[in-house]
Amino acid sequence: MGLESKLGDSFITTTIDKVVNWGRKNSLWPMPFGTACCAIEMMATLATKFDLSRFGAEAIRFSPRQSDLMIVSGRISIKMMPVLRKIYDQMPEPKWVISMGACASCGGVFDTYTLVQGVDQFIPVDVYVPGCPPRPEDLIDAVMQIQKLIGDETVSVARMAKREEISQATLG
Amino acid sequence: MSEEQTDAEVVEPPEPIVIQQLRERFSDHILTVIDQRGELSVVVDKDASFQVLEFLKVDFNLSYDFLVDVTAIDYSQMEDVLIEYGYARYMVVYHLNAFLTNERLRVKVPVSEKDFTIKSVVALWNSANWLEREIYDMFGINFDGHPDLRRILMPDDFEGFPLRKDYPLRGRGEREKFNFGRENV
Ligand code: SF4
Repeated sequence: MGLESKLGDSFITTTIDKVVNWGRKNSLWPMPFGTACCAIEMMATLATKFDLSRFGAEAIRFSPRQSDLMIVSGRISIKMMPVLRKIYDQMPEPKWVISMGACASCGGVFDTYTLVQGVDQFIPVDVYVPGCPPRPEDLIDAVMQIQKLIGDETVSVARMAKREEISQATLG
Repeated sequence: MSEEQTDAEVVEPPEPIVIQQLRERFSDHILTVIDQRGELSVVVDKDASFQVLEFLKVDFNLSYDFLVDVTAIDYSQMEDVLIEYGYARYMVVYHLNAFLTNERLRVKVPVSEKDFTIKSVVALWNSANWLEREIYDMFGINFDGHPDLRRILMPDDFEGFPLRKDYPLRGRGEREKFNFGRENV
């Protein structure tokens, strides 16, 4: 483009969205909310064999304040749900949620008195991973889907407004 | 079993020492003794349950010093058991182990619906604390003398006792009504 030809090789022009999204999607910091067997598969995904760090998402943070991707992997009971919601609320924007496994997504085989039948009733979920448990490849695929989602986003206030809207709709 | 009882010729082997001792001391309160392939169970009257357990723990030769587990059973759908123990619907079960002799013993105590209270054994084994809370949580059986009897697994405001046989698997709408304890959402 015109500007680059004047300024030489050391400059490129792009949009702010592209730069920010590029940064965000290649350094996701997951918050592992592992409550059951799916968490074992999540650990496998993070370990050397499947190595989630190839996708820039290996920096697991057990503090919600340092993370931007929540991986809900396991059963969530009605006693655990307030905890999950609190941790979700403590994560700074922008943030994304993966609901990993049948249990987190719809209750799975545990159609019982105490199990939340899908965490999406209470927090907004971006990507669902089917399976019981899903293979590590599935989780990696989910992370890649999240990256795709991030790539389409914009840093404008519009996203925040949309988030807020979904959040209000699910709980308020 | 019934054959042995009718045939007078059969010489029964002597009962284990622990049973002999219990019979000696608590004869009226020992309801049944079950020896299932060397696994001993004693069904004990509720009034004497604490004394029996105390004796089993404190007695120098028996010294059942390790409380492995406390649990409960709802027999409401097992007619034969109900009839045998005067329609006592629940059975609180103590699993004991003696480190000294490596003997195990199961003590079962029928609890009827009319009187849901049984004496707590926290005074004997501290480890009974959470186990009894779990039974209270799941079956609604009260433990007299428990220092801190409240729910342990279910949320504090949960109603009903999920492991009772008449409790529906999908609950009574707890999970549908669940709203973080807030109104108007
Ligand atoms: S989906 Fe399957 S593997 Fe995952 S938490 Fe539920 S039961 Fe366990």
